Amino acid sequence: MKSFLHTLRWSTWLGWQIESNWADPWLFALYLIIKPITGSLVLVFMFFAARAVVQTPPEFLPYVYVSNSCFGLVGTVMFGMSYVVVTDREHYGMLKYIFVSPARFQGYLLGRGIARALEGIVGGGLTVVAGMFLFSEVRSSVVGGIDWAWLFIYLAIGGAMLYACGMILASAVLNMHRNGMFLSEGIAGVVYLLSGVIFPLSELPRWLQSVALILPTTYWLEGMRRALMGTPPGGSNLAKSPLTEFSNTELALALVLTTIVLTAISQWFYRWSVRRAWRDGKIEEQTGM
Amino acid sequence: MRKALTLFTQATLARAYPRAAWMFRSRTWLFQETLLPVLSVSAFAFSYKAMGAPREYVGFVILGAAMTTFWLNVLWSMGAHLYWERDSGNLGLYIMSPAPTMAILAGMALGGMATTTLRAAAILAAGLFIFQVPFDPTSWWLLLVVFLLTMAALYGLGMMFASLFLLWGREAWHTVNLLQEPVYLLTGMNFPLKNVFPLAVAGAALLIPLASGMDAMRQVLFRVDGVLGIGWEIALLAVLAVTFLWAAKGLLDFLERRSRIEGRLTVRWE
Repeated sequence: MKSFLHTLRWSTWLGWQIESNWADPWLFALYLIIKPITGSLVLVFMFFAARAVVQTPPEFLPYVYVSNSCFGLVGTVMFGMSYVVVTDREHYGMLKYIFVSPARFQGYLLGRGIARALEGIVGGGLTVVAGMFLFSEVRSSVVGGIDWAWLFIYLAIGGAMLYACGMILASAVLNMHRNGMFLSEGIAGVVYLLSGVIFPLSELPRWLQSVALILPTTYWLEGMRRALMGTPPGGSNLAKSPLTEFSNTELALALVLTTIVLTAISQWFYRWSVRRAWRDGKIEEQTGM
Repeated sequence: MRKALTLFTQATLARAYPRAAWMFRSRTWLFQETLLPVLSVSAFAFSYKAMGAPREYVGFVILGAAMTTFWLNVLWSMGAHLYWERDSGNLGLYIMSPAPTMAILAGMALGGMATTTLRAAAILAAGLFIFQVPFDPTSWWLLLVVFLLTMAALYGLGMMFASLFLLWGREAWHTVNLLQEPVYLLTGMNFPLKNVFPLAVAGAALLIPLASGMDAMRQVLFRVDGVLGIGWEIALLAVLAVTFLWAAKGLLDFLERRSRIEGRLTVRWE
């Protein structure tokens, strides 16, 4: 355990250095906020474009804005942990040295993921704050609705969930070529759809709703939305989601259960993938395309 | 002249070959380039449906997603790729060889075009069959002209970016990252520019070929109003294509010379 924590500490430090020291702190800070804010603004302008031609319920704006900001954390951790495999293997040529060193390989990947999570938390948090300044709909939803206790609980369970998601992707990329770095983007897109990040789950066909209810990200995002904004007004399209009837405790319990299953799968898949990559010489393989 | 053209073509085909060969050796891209992007685009389509927007708005999402695959190809497979090539030691070999750098970049574009086109086609097919988007172009020929001009301008811009990657180190990767969401926003990937932006902002955005191309295509495909008339946007795309390709040549020569002087062509692990 001590060795694991030691690896974790140093890989988090290394990850943060790699992520942040390529530019001066101000430029880096700007970089941290521009990407998530513009990502959320795309959704805001979609809302404005729709509102220009039809009557769009106003509660949609805070829903998509806050939900998308929270999802940014999922994207950065998933991409961060899997991209480490590609850069360390193909760019720095260091993965094989990490692998043969006494450092805990999984702890190393987790540490690099934590560095990205810090970026995601800062970016997501600032995006929500910017939204409160820019849009009155977001301001009125967030100011009146934050439940700090539940927010802390969902962030804590969400951390374990993100770790499991990141490990699955990093394990998959171990056995892929350089194109694997785009896998996390694609998978994040699928999770984006199935977790109902920017629309209520009731919009999905019924069979896809069942798939959505297996994913821990669905419960996590619903929990984060509730912790930040409360529940959507009754009668709204947003209140038609199958999760509306869940109490906060039931939601947290569903999140814990699905996260435990995901963690078990991720650990099994990690062991299988490392063994396969080691046998096939993928730990040090360098490819071009 | 003939010799130069032959060399250009040979170098282009030679650089395109590894990408084409890779497609047959590693099949994971099929899943990654078709099913996954379709699913992620669907989220935006469902969002418009939930907002009660007209069906052509879902069409805007589909068109935007299809066109941005080319933008991603330009950024990752041309721009950022020179940075990768430097790390793997190939860049020095390219510069040493008699092959023009423009031909190497054209080869990257050509090689990457197959997977990119397939990805775009999968997204369009999903739009057509899953979301039943009403594609009803005023003219297929006009659509083809707009598309080809957009590609010429976009890849010209990509070549300009690629020249910057001769100089950049680790910041290159972050720059590529930064050129995604802000560009999606400014180019109106999922929404009509005219309905949302003030005229000055929309006009400035049209200087990005992705924005002018998509705006023109929206006019042709969905018969909606654009920021400028279709004729003006086609003319603008033609001017952008010529300007970017010409500037790319100049920038590549200039920055290649500067990289030689500063000794950055063979710097690795930066």
